[in-house]
Amino acid sequence: MRRPLFFIAVFCFAAGFVRAQDAPAPDEKEQIKALLARVELLEKQVAELKATQVASAASAGPSSSATAKPAPSPEPPARQAAPMPEHGGQIPPEVRQLETHYPSLQIRGFADADFSATDQPGTTSGFNLGQFDLHIASALSQKISYFAEITVNAHPQDYTIEMERTFIRYDYNDFFKISFGRFHTPVGYWNTAFHHGAWLQTTVDRPFMVKVGGTFTPLHLVGALAEGNIPSGSLGLGYNVGIGNGRGANIARPGDAGDINNNRAWVAKLFARPGKSYGVELGASVYRDKITLPTSEFREWISNAYLVWTKGAPEFLAEFDNVNHRNIATNAVANSDAMYAQFGYRLPWFERTLKPYYRFEYTHMPLSEQVFTYQPQVESIAGLRYDISSFAAFKSEYRYSASHPAQGGHPAMPAVSGVFFQTAFTF
Amino acid sequence: MTNMLKYTGTLLTALVLLIPIHNFSSAQTPRESDVAVVVNADTPVTNLSLAEVRKVFLGERQYWNAKLPVVLLIRAPVARERDVVLRVIYQMTEAQFKQYWVAKIFRAEVTAPPKIVYSNDLQYELVSAIPGAIAFVDSRNVRPGVKMVRVDGMLPGDKSYPLR
Repeated sequence: MRRPLFFIAVFCFAAGFVRAQDAPAPDEKEQIKALLARVELLEKQVAELKATQVASAASAGPSSSATAKPAPSPEPPARQAAPMPEHGGQIPPEVRQLETHYPSLQIRGFADADFSATDQPGTTSGFNLGQFDLHIASALSQKISYFAEITVNAHPQDYTIEMERTFIRYDYNDFFKISFGRFHTPVGYWNTAFHHGAWLQTTVDRPFMVKVGGTFTPLHLVGALAEGNIPSGSLGLGYNVGIGNGRGANIARPGDAGDINNNRAWVAKLFARPGKSYGVELGASVYRDKITLPTSEFREWISNAYLVWTKGAPEFLAEFDNVNHRNIATNAVANSDAMYAQFGYRLPWFERTLKPYYRFEYTHMPLSEQVFTYQPQVESIAGLRYDISSFAAFKSEYRYSASHPAQGGHPAMPAVSGVFFQTAFTF
Repeated sequence: MTNMLKYTGTLLTALVLLIPIHNFSSAQTPRESDVAVVVNADTPVTNLSLAEVRKVFLGERQYWNAKLPVVLLIRAPVARERDVVLRVIYQMTEAQFKQYWVAKIFRAEVTAPPKIVYSNDLQYELVSAIPGAIAFVDSRNVRPGVKMVRVDGMLPGDKSYPLR
């Protein structure tokens, strides 16, 4: 018990130390304000000088210079001041600097370092590296962009590199965008909201239904995806429709190098972000696939519904998944369910850097389930997230999970509790 | 009991003294001007609801039409226009605003955050020159060359204008 307390003390000390390093000087804002005022004053002076120059050139008369520019046409001021770059107008250098150049490559990274200690028999406490995640976004033209996400994962013997996402997207307009490549399957909310950036999510880990390397929800899809808004006024409707290679021989992975069968998986999602309830999103999605295992084949039908409110004070995420498997040979059906509800609240003190949170998870699997490894469980998580700066956070979490009792030949599994610490950041 | 009455009396006296001071200081603070939404003169929009302005600045609406993308311009930190935008439109702190755009790009919903503009002059030059550009400016200094957009049917100076 003393060891976790030691780590909590170290965590608090480190948090305070880093915070102190990050705190801005008290008069920094005033200095910036003064500098901005100075910039504006200088701009005014430049404008006055330019005006004086123009006036003196005009007074010299048209005969004084053979290269004098013709008088401006009597257009409305709005037209005069809007030179269109594609029409060969004079582009001010400041504008040229802020123009988007193609390809415009942006790279961002996410990483985390963790510590865990649980009372699960056979496990040891200690530090471990989370995913090192590189994200690439590049606009290739005004309407074509490329995105990629690559992770480096620590294992007992070595590291593995995984291409999580790689796709090219063509935007026709807000209502139709089409992409080709490898995506995070748009089933539910979490999988496409936080991807592999631990810093983005409030908690240390993902819910069971979308765990990295898990099988409950197919995390990836290789194929084509159409998405966009649906004209719906303040209802703020949107959609995703995709088709591609579904689960591979290892059902945790998609068929990256080709589908395992001749049946394509498809996914459809409809969501709403009501204009009058800023921060609220609700949606429903379905996923259909054929799973080919060495023993038999199954039809998979996943239904998901979610409701989130992402304002932070409070933050509420709730998601429900039903996975239906039908054995094609025997017609035996199994329904597995998973849900989570997460509640967080960004406290108004300490510059809103503290966010306590709680998550409840429930996973049900019938004994007749043949595709998944039998692992029903109930889990509760309580923790605190502390944003040490705009781009780094410390998280501390207590987790209690109770697994299933002995039944149907499955051995009983004891309840497990543990503490988890994480520092997650983006760079 | 006597002590309690004494403390309550002192507190009330302090409050009574503070009210005129507060009123005086309020009266001395000049009313800050409204913040106007301006777009490039060729942008096909004249009126937006506040929810639509929010949708545009959240990056959820990225095209005015199929040929004209939205170009978001936002003043650098400490400028008053930015404070108003963060408070009314985004309803976020400075840190939350930065985090929002990191997440937005990571979700592959946009390829770049809004362009940061360091002065009013530069902002006017950019709005005038970039087709589809939209920005927030001090309504006292709206210049020719840009188009002012009504928000919920109202212009700066109207009683219920939301951006102030």
